[in-house]
Amino acid sequence: MPDLKKILSISNFNKSQKRLLTYCLLFFIPLVVFYCLLELLALNLPVNYRIVGDYLNSKSQKIEVMALGSSQVRCSFNPELSNKPAINLASSSQHHKEDFSILKGTIDRLPNLKYVLFEVSYMHLELPYHPREYWKNNIYLKYYAVNAFERTTYFTDKLVFVSNPRFYSAKLRDHYLYKSNKVRLNKFGFDTNNYYSSFNKLGYDTSKIKNNAFKIYTGENLEIFKNNSGYLFNMLDYMQSKNLKVIIATLPLYKTYLNKRNPKVVHRRDSILSIVKSKYNNVVILNKETDTIQFKVKDFLNENHLNPDGARKFTSIVSKVVDSIN
Amino acid sequence: MLFNSFSFGLFLPITLLLYWAVGFKRIKAQNTILLVASYFFYGLWDWRFLFLIVASSLVDYFAAIAIKSSESVSKQKRYLYSSIIWNLGVLFLFKYYNFFIDEFALLFSMQQGEYGFSTLNLILPIGLSFYTFQTMSYTIDVYKNRIAPTKNLLNFLCFVSFFPQLVAGPIEKASDLLPQFKNKRSFDSIEVKEGLRQILWGLFKKMVIADNAAYMVNMVYASPENYGSLSLLYVSVLFFFQIYGDFSGYSDIAIGSAKLFGFKLSKNFNIPYLAKSVTEFWQRWHITLTRWFSDYVYFPIIQKNLRSSTRRNLAIFFTMMLIGLWHGANWTFIIFGVFHGFLIILERTPLSTDRKSTIFHSALLPNFIVPIFSFVFITVSCILFRSPNIDAAWLILKRIFSIIPSEKIALLIDKKFVVFLLLMITVEVLTRFKSFPLTKLDQYFNRPTRWLIYYILIIVIFLYAGFKEDFIYFQF
Repeated sequence: MPDLKKILSISNFNKSQKRLLTYCLLFFIPLVVFYCLLELLALNLPVNYRIVGDYLNSKSQKIEVMALGSSQVRCSFNPELSNKPAINLASSSQHHKEDFSILKGTIDRLPNLKYVLFEVSYMHLELPYHPREYWKNNIYLKYYAVNAFERTTYFTDKLVFVSNPRFYSAKLRDHYLYKSNKVRLNKFGFDTNNYYSSFNKLGYDTSKIKNNAFKIYTGENLEIFKNNSGYLFNMLDYMQSKNLKVIIATLPLYKTYLNKRNPKVVHRRDSILSIVKSKYNNVVILNKETDTIQFKVKDFLNENHLNPDGARKFTSIVSKVVDSIN
Repeated sequence: MLFNSFSFGLFLPITLLLYWAVGFKRIKAQNTILLVASYFFYGLWDWRFLFLIVASSLVDYFAAIAIKSSESVSKQKRYLYSSIIWNLGVLFLFKYYNFFIDEFALLFSMQQGEYGFSTLNLILPIGLSFYTFQTMSYTIDVYKNRIAPTKNLLNFLCFVSFFPQLVAGPIEKASDLLPQFKNKRSFDSIEVKEGLRQILWGLFKKMVIADNAAYMVNMVYASPENYGSLSLLYVSVLFFFQIYGDFSGYSDIAIGSAKLFGFKLSKNFNIPYLAKSVTEFWQRWHITLTRWFSDYVYFPIIQKNLRSSTRRNLAIFFTMMLIGLWHGANWTFIIFGVFHGFLIILERTPLSTDRKSTIFHSALLPNFIVPIFSFVFITVSCILFRSPNIDAAWLILKRIFSIIPSEKIALLIDKKFVVFLLLMITVEVLTRFKSFPLTKLDQYFNRPTRWLIYYILIIVIFLYAGFKEDFIYFQF
């Protein structure tokens, strides 16, 4: 049996190897220190995830309504205006896969949870899920204690800056350098000053908005549709088994966006919603996507997001629905 | 394990420390460490496919020995064909079987299962096309007496599974790589520093250029019907730089990592966007693949009649079609290859009797236009490469040539990304006679300046990296 200690020994390194090793250490130490500093600063940022996480921890015994979904729900539902204790765990680009992970990962901590609001908006069923290593998984783990990685987690999975350096460096710059006060988060993590996007820049002038360019997916993907629809039914089965009342919302869209939607995608989504409606008695469909009567141009942040004024209206509608299914 | 992952950042230094800690004289111990590390590297993705690598290695190892020890040519041929059938069989089963079954059914308007065959639910093992080509070339070279077979199984297993180039090349010839496992490796601190710099440059190309380009390309290719001509053209050009950044970045990291262990791998890219013709493009793009197909497909076809231009053109056409098919089981790749073959034939066909004037080198085109001219054709072929099917590629091409206004182009132009792209191009063009842009920095800068350059690059990578995307060539 060879003597491993003798074989694998630092004494086997020659002078030039030892010198290079020393230089490597000297080179990387400042980088590690610099990173630690960035991580500390990032952890102290007043980002909505942190505030929502704190709220989740401190009020977990009281929360009755949970909102999940993408930035559309994030901008549309202000828990402060809800008539029942609520939390908004939606965030931009959050898909059903993350929604489900958050729900499963928090439900045991929320003994009074009765209602779940989530969205099945246009394209929701035909957009692929994020990869397993989606950057927000770090955020969910750090702030909500939810493992959305679906694997064993390591210490790097809790680092926030490295999860999305571009996002965090912009936030650090805005907060520490420019002292920006555009974002005003209430204690529920909702931005009450979220007015400054394309519609505001265009002065809510409908003739200018008409010609404004915006991103919209219109491609079709039946494979993804099948997969996502199946996943949606799994989610609903789970919520039914937990005796939760579910409000599936389609969020208000501005008319230029409505006109550019792919009708086939809309039709497929609507057909799934009608199946859901007939199959699950704990589900209410709140279809506000085409509601151009209640939601006017000044209620929108851009073509597919509401501003806090629009959110006031939408939250009030949700509250009424919650009361009606009580 | 991805080269741009945290786990690789741990794996590489640990392996390196163990590798050099055993000392210079213990080649067997060093090779054992490399083999274990390589299998660990591959097994982290899916350990079941380690059996396939080991099986492929053993088949070729014993086939080569059998070829050499056989007296009769017919026996030698039999062993060679067994090796080729095994390698191509594995490749066909995992990569092409479902495609041919589907196409067969479509051709005869049959339902799957009607003719006794149905598609299989198989995962494509990553790097399969790379390592099967590498092992196949070994037995062919032994048969052709270009190299002697190795009797050292450990060395051969290392040659097949050497982790820096296992999953996406460069595809090495046994005559270049195998002897390096036999010989003593010396620790050259200059080479190690060169390796680290090349890894850094590769990470920049992959994480800043390729991953950022991927975001825009994926968005537009998801619904091309929403975008105008200029937007589609812009992202198609971006896609070229995405695959370039992705694959050449991977190759740089692979070559750099190999240098840390005292190995030399072949150069795989040589600034392909400067190519003055499609022929030259293939001498600059995925050089080791072009070399493989030239050595084992193109030259064997033409060697019987070197003067026949028809034979040569057919050989080009066939070789390029196979190169296309090598990339994946999809008509888009086949047409991509055929299109390139057609262009190569066209540019080799003289326009006049002086034989010097061809479509790319005619007096009609000024010199500076020529690279742009070939770049346009390459960009068009990239549309085929990226599109999920022929219909999607056709739709994009139709929209580009229909001159549809691009209202959303401003949404696609990320100024910082464009600056980094231009920076990469400028640096590469200015250092085009070097093996990679950061090479031999010691000759020009003192240590603090060099460290500053590295720190800036690391911070740029860290802050401006796009969302992590898999390496495109892993799927091949």
